[in-house]
Amino acid sequence: MAKLLKKEFALFAHPTSWMFLAFGAMMLIPGYPMYLPIFFASLGLFYACLSARENNDLYYTLLLPVRKRDAVRARALYFVIMELLQLAVCVPFAILRGVLKIGPNAAGMDVNVALFGLALVVAGAFNALFLPRLYKNPAAVGKPFLIVSVCVFLFIFALEACSFVLPFFRDVLDTPDPQHLPAKLAVLAVGAALFVLLTVLGTRRAEAIFEKVDL
Amino acid sequence: MAEKVLELRGLCKEYPSFRLKDAGFSLSRGRIMGFIGRNGAGKTTTLKSMLNIVHPSAGTVAFFGLAFAEHEQEIKRRIAFVSGGANYYPNKKLSAITAVTRSFYDNWDEAAYRRYLKLFALDESKTPKALSAGMQVKYALALALSHRAELLILDEPTSGLDPVSRDELCGVFLDLADEGVSILFSTHITEDLDKCADDVTYIRNGEIVFSLPLGELREKYRTVELTAEQAERYKSSLIGCKRAKEGFTALVERGACEELGGHASDLEEIMVHLDREARDDG
Repeated sequence: MAKLLKKEFALFAHPTSWMFLAFGAMMLIPGYPMYLPIFFASLGLFYACLSARENNDLYYTLLLPVRKRDAVRARALYFVIMELLQLAVCVPFAILRGVLKIGPNAAGMDVNVALFGLALVVAGAFNALFLPRLYKNPAAVGKPFLIVSVCVFLFIFALEACSFVLPFFRDVLDTPDPQHLPAKLAVLAVGAALFVLLTVLGTRRAEAIFEKVDL
Repeated sequence: MAEKVLELRGLCKEYPSFRLKDAGFSLSRGRIMGFIGRNGAGKTTTLKSMLNIVHPSAGTVAFFGLAFAEHEQEIKRRIAFVSGGANYYPNKKLSAITAVTRSFYDNWDEAAYRRYLKLFALDESKTPKALSAGMQVKYALALALSHRAELLILDEPTSGLDPVSRDELCGVFLDLADEGVSILFSTHITEDLDKCADDVTYIRNGEIVFSLPLGELREKYRTVELTAEQAERYKSSLIGCKRAKEGFTALVERGACEELGGHASDLEEIMVHLDREARDDG
């Protein structure tokens, strides 16, 4: 798996993935849907998948002494690393936002611990939906990404709506840190667990699908 | 009896417009097998089905006595598959692709890799995109030959190569076979098989017609040249009779129609006439 992961970074990784990491600085924008800077990791992954298709990556990978399912697992692990890296880049800017006292986010969920927990759920949902579709027809990358992006954006929209409508979101989660920190930490923990669960489910489904795909 | 490095049984694959039907043959250690058939006969489908690159609907494939499904990783480490040229990562330098590929093989032979780079006149600072189709094949072969594979499966390896390179490659294959490496390669260029193959497997419309030692196959047939009158008179004994520049040509079984003379058939003549016969019958 380590060799495959090394291959993902050496050949599969697309320059835009590294570029999009810088979008973590958007955490400093006073009023902005803050799930979006985190979602840019997904866009970077899409470009990498698009480039991989043009580079005949799957075919090259399957010539190597690896099992088909390991190729899927390494790709999923690469997704996870890039998504976590995107979150990690966002963290210092989130802290800086607090230090600079930029204030509450009028456009939606505030930048706080709970946001990162919910963002992990969004990333997990992306993995669960995109990975199986990606391997169902490796020649088509755009259509699955479009479908999954629409689903993810609807999910983000619903989460943002919650911060205006649902009392728990509005009064507990959408508040500056360190207010209601235990509840927010619980959301972060649940978010992390759901991220793992959704990614594992998506990867297993993708493995089963890819096993039967003809290249 | 020589160890079987590859054994296919009842391999099937269905596409809307093509069916691979019960494909089966075996290859022994140190043998070179040519896999022949016209375009669309099922050569690539068979090779890809063997390696689960396309998913066969039925049948078993064993390498070195191990079922592919259960020992995929180990088997892939001991074999090499080259289909066409290095048509992946066209904008990466060969050195970058090699660096990644090398890391997957504990038995990578760097000296052999350097030797093949030199033999094939490959420049590692180039990208696959900058190579001609023939040079891409050579690079893919250099990678395949550098991890001491015990079985090489090559899909049309000589198609884009010039005659000198093809001849060199046949020499490389013969040397490898002497070292105990088995080679299965599909090709349209039957002349290359005449130079180096031990066995020939012939596929037509998704069905294996025969899988025989080349010597036995050559023993079986003779090519005769005929006039129109002879073609008509010996019609029942002729196999795949067809027009030639002057008169007609056909195969006859050894021992039959001795009065017609003829010469020992080469592989191209055997393939062309057998295919003609099947079409005439069909």
